[in-house]
Amino acid sequence: MTDLTPTDFPVTRPDAQVHFGVFFQGVNHTTVWSDPDSGSQTDFATFERVIRTAERGLFDAFFLGEGLRLRESRGALHDLDVVGRPDAITQLAALAAITTHIGLVATQNTTYNDPADLARRLQSLDVLSGGRAAWNVVTTDNDWTGANFRRGGYLDHALRYDRAQGQLDIARQIWDAFPDTGGSDAFSGVVAHVAEHSALFDVELDPTTPRSPQGHPVIFQAGDSPQGRDFAAANADVIFSRHGAVLADALEFAADVRRRTVAAGRPDDDVKIFPGTGIIVGDTPADAEERARWVRWNQVTPATALSIVGNIWGEDLSGYDPDGPLPAHDPVVEELGGERGSATTGARTREIAAQWRALAEAEHLSIRELVVRNSSERGFQGTPAAVAEDLIRWVRTGAVDGFNISPWIVPSGLDDIVEKVVPELQERGAYPTSYTGTTLRGHLGLRAPLTRRAATVGAA
Amino acid sequence: MGLDADGAGAHPAAAAVTGLAGPDLVSGARLARTVRQAENAGLTFVSFTDALLPAVPGSPASARLESVTRAAFVSRTTSAIGLVPQVPTTYPEPFHVAAQLASLDIAAGGRAGWIAAVTRDAATADAYGRPVVGDLAREARDVVRVVRDLWDSWEDDAVIRDVTTGRYIDRDRVHHVDFEGESFSVKGPLITPRPPQGQLVVLAADGDVPPLLDGAEPLVDVTLVGGAGVGAASGNAEAARERSPRAGVDIEVVLDAGGRTGADRLAVLDGSTPAGVRSPWDTRALRHVGSAAGLVALLTELATPGPDSRRPVDGVRLLPAVLDVDLPVLARDVLPALRAARLVAAPRPGATLRESLGLPRPANRYDTRVLADAPSA
Repeated sequence: MTDLTPTDFPVTRPDAQVHFGVFFQGVNHTTVWSDPDSGSQTDFATFERVIRTAERGLFDAFFLGEGLRLRESRGALHDLDVVGRPDAITQLAALAAITTHIGLVATQNTTYNDPADLARRLQSLDVLSGGRAAWNVVTTDNDWTGANFRRGGYLDHALRYDRAQGQLDIARQIWDAFPDTGGSDAFSGVVAHVAEHSALFDVELDPTTPRSPQGHPVIFQAGDSPQGRDFAAANADVIFSRHGAVLADALEFAADVRRRTVAAGRPDDDVKIFPGTGIIVGDTPADAEERARWVRWNQVTPATALSIVGNIWGEDLSGYDPDGPLPAHDPVVEELGGERGSATTGARTREIAAQWRALAEAEHLSIRELVVRNSSERGFQGTPAAVAEDLIRWVRTGAVDGFNISPWIVPSGLDDIVEKVVPELQERGAYPTSYTGTTLRGHLGLRAPLTRRAATVGAA
Repeated sequence: MGLDADGAGAHPAAAAVTGLAGPDLVSGARLARTVRQAENAGLTFVSFTDALLPAVPGSPASARLESVTRAAFVSRTTSAIGLVPQVPTTYPEPFHVAAQLASLDIAAGGRAGWIAAVTRDAATADAYGRPVVGDLAREARDVVRVVRDLWDSWEDDAVIRDVTTGRYIDRDRVHHVDFEGESFSVKGPLITPRPPQGQLVVLAADGDVPPLLDGAEPLVDVTLVGGAGVGAASGNAEAARERSPRAGVDIEVVLDAGGRTGADRLAVLDGSTPAGVRSPWDTRALRHVGSAAGLVALLTELATPGPDSRRPVDGVRLLPAVLDVDLPVLARDVLPALRAARLVAAPRPGATLRESLGLPRPANRYDTRVLADAPSA
């Protein structure tokens, strides 16, 4: 996907293997729901088909997102995209019973969850699944989401990572509370009392959840700000990054993460990097190109194109012609924010509008063409062999450890990857041919949980 | 006819006498096996008693996993039996509770229920870092009310997938609930579409969830009552039916098994009860200690219509002292006799819990067509 030749980036890890996760997004405009092959986005059978396909393809993890308030545009519910999804931990517990190896990643918010409650639910999933659970730690801070919760918008924006850190610290105490009996008498030992009295927490409890085979749920983190990266370097096992389109950019991100990880007192390979990405394959390069084009144009429907531009302009543009030019006037608002519940809230609208207008004028693009153009550089496309070569290069140059794939159609969107790309990777010795462990920590090649390493080091 | 399937059994010494603690007590394999036995025995539902804090602080024998997660895990290993987690109303976030239970109902194909329970233990407030809730009844009423509102916040046909206009949902069929309670407010809508049953079956112990002040709708579908004897339990059920469509009796069960009488087993259990246990075995429920035939006789009496041709109670929930001992006796000697007498029927695979309990699927409170059709008051 880069314009550079392979030799521009040296292979630093010649034996590294490609790892896959699947991100079942649930809420977005990138899942094409208008196609006849698109199934229900809510029925359990849809989730079952995706996770069974992923497990057949030896994926490390199945990943569910979370959003605690439905998106709204200027006061009305956003109605153009897939919306409505299950509670992640509940859904993953149901999926745990019908799978045997694949990891189960639940995105859960630190701002509007209570640590005793959330740590217990995550550990319950981890025990029931035999050590396959993970927590994607996310923060949110606005009173708009808080309107669904007892505490309302209580947390200062600047404190959101402090809250996340405290939440994680309490969770680890809870996960470490049961005695490690090592197979001996399960009645022996005492469950430790957990207490945290700090500026943000005043919590005391006796936990009920015993240890799972992987010790702690694996910690994922997706924040990209400097603060988010530091949080990941200090706490995470896996970063779910946004740097999955341009290799040079991914390498720069990886170097930055490793620097921060070492600064946090950890080995530089202690945090695995999994960018979110999409993969589109075809029998020939032209076929893949045609298919990618089809996907882009179906992701960006006329109404979606007007909605995306309307969000930047801060007004309802649904009366505009999607095949016509951008509005002649400047955005009516200073900052993005008309669409609530979106990750881009707060960006500077006029800068974005100026960039978009320049691109539209230079390439003579309509509104819809422009939105398609701006969303067309995400992920990998080509023949299965070419995509496999690309993925291997990304892993072996040290840019990433694996890929978190978002299928563009659900539930059939992983079929091509599992049936065509995985065999190409296996032929090149860059992908496992069977699961070798039973826990997610094992699949990812992770060390022991951070709070349980002192004993290991002392014994070595 | 339901059965509590929590841990090693309902008696506080069940784990100790079974020899289970820590991971062995709470493993997925054990949970799935127990619930499958209950389904094969023809029980209508299993409940999962729960609390955030352990019965005995510090004891590995008090290991317990969160109830909705447990119920979800067995949702795909079963096909007929109802799955009813106990989830407190006092401290958890009602928005999360609503989404978790709706998701359970989706995974279970409409077989989910909810025991809405209050938490009296002040230590739980410390675990949440919040002041002790003084008015437990008000909190329970507000939480059940808003959870029911949230389950209706999506109409059944909200997802329209209209390719021509590019609209995935009809936003007029997804509603803010704008609930304003005394101690909290919730905006809505829920992040999860309406569950298959529309509303999950809500169960509650007698007195835990008071009716709405305006009495507009019953908050509880099935009230679980206790009573020292059949007469008291029947009277309690009769009274409860004024506030909820159904009333069932909780019955603690210690059966003759393995060559020992129920009374002997109970003496051993009581003698093994760990020191410092937060909740001694419930004293509210009806109790049967003895033979399977005696339990069949008791259940027959509870199910036999009186002079007004009404059954004294609509159903029962059994609280087995020790699951591994009492459940096999129930399956072998109790349920077949009740089925033969046509006093119970096993739930049909694929049936919703509402269908199994004879409860209708409720209309949606936000459906304007229903409102338009309703006779004006």
